Amino acid sequence: MRENNWVRDYGPIVLAGLITGVAALVLTALGNPRNMGFCIACFERDIAGALGLHSAAKVQYLRPEIAGIVLGAMLAALGAKEFRAKAGSSPASRFLIGLFVMIGALVFLGCPLRMVIRLGGGDLTAVAGLLGFLAGILVGIVFLKKGFSLGRAYSVPAAEGAVLPGVMILLLVLLLAAPDLLHFSEEGPGSQRAFWLVSLLAGGLVGAAAQRSRLCMAGGLRDAFLLRDFRLLSGFLAIWAAVTVGNLILGNYNLSAASQPVAHSQYLWSFLGMALAGWGSILLGGCPLRQLILAGEGSGDSAVAVLGMAAGAAVAHNFGLAGNPDSVVDGVYKVGGIGAAGMAAVILGFVVLLAVTLTHLPKKEGTR
Amino acid sequence: MRQRQLRLVVAFHTTSAAMAAEALCRGLGLAGKLISVPRQVTSDCGMAWSAPPELRETLEVRLAESGVETAGFYELLI
Repeated sequence: MRENNWVRDYGPIVLAGLITGVAALVLTALGNPRNMGFCIACFERDIAGALGLHSAAKVQYLRPEIAGIVLGAMLAALGAKEFRAKAGSSPASRFLIGLFVMIGALVFLGCPLRMVIRLGGGDLTAVAGLLGFLAGILVGIVFLKKGFSLGRAYSVPAAEGAVLPGVMILLLVLLLAAPDLLHFSEEGPGSQRAFWLVSLLAGGLVGAAAQRSRLCMAGGLRDAFLLRDFRLLSGFLAIWAAVTVGNLILGNYNLSAASQPVAHSQYLWSFLGMALAGWGSILLGGCPLRQLILAGEGSGDSAVAVLGMAAGAAVAHNFGLAGNPDSVVDGVYKVGGIGAAGMAAVILGFVVLLAVTLTHLPKKEGTR
Repeated sequence: MRQRQLRLVVAFHTTSAAMAAEALCRGLGLAGKLISVPRQVTSDCGMAWSAPPELRETLEVRLAESGVETAGFYELLI
């Protein structure tokens, strides 16, 4: 049987990537921070701030995009009869890994999705993050080959799989019915936001498309390196292409390593931060976006990873671990980045990931 | 343009089990390769073992004997 294999194999994932890229451009045009139409790490950090889990005044807003992604994935999974409540795959370790994935991402100032969006805006500082992410993925693959596993998940009652989607609905109710209970940034990235309904719908569209196509940056690189299968990776190439072309058309493309929005030029720590995020994502079986999608499909384990990321965001800002963007102060360009505490946290993150990895290797071959 | 072929696809609950299956089959000289698990099998993005359909019984027995837990055997045009 002959047919157009390329369209069948790559069509859905490339379409999901284009949808995500265009949605990011639209959200930025309507108010989200530049080069941050979507950022799973930043938006979860903003939500943690809105709930008072940290007090960094510039990054507090209950981002509807996150709720939209989870609920969009859930609706898509329900529609395709793919919603399956599962849990039991080393939840405590997943919480810990999620926490350090978030710290690594906030050191860099973006998750893998925002890294691609930053590259699509011409932000050359993100190249260090990309190289670090690749390095982290490769480290994770080495341990996958040695048999690393967090163990399998088991079927659980449907209500267990609906916990994170339920929390997202509750957060939306809070945003709309009781905003006085929440914290809202009056300046900085948290104050820059598209109208909530647009954000929610854009998130829902991306969540549904990602669920149908399995869009995942970490999984894409894993498949490319391990299997020479470039399908998942093509989704992120499509995001990059859509954002690049869109920014060129809109006049927002700035090919430079200086003065990029919400970015710093401390390259070594951008590299190491994303290496931590990449390694952790391989251990979790998916990048931060993918964790939201899996949680929407009913994975209690991914829900725990997402909660770990929210805790990581709170820790990152309460203890001054997150990166500060480059800025211009009194006409002088000031390089941002992280301080000693952030550096120590990244190193600690590598130690913790190594410990989790070593304790989840098989005792003897072929027994898992 | 690549032609679709009927293949036996063995799905697993974990990536490590897929890799254990690969090591086992390599050791036994059984034909096959690791692939990204086909979308029609699951919405998960793990790995699967793709083999000639005639190896189904052999694989079912060998994987069970070796303690490699499988999530299902599928015959698919891929």
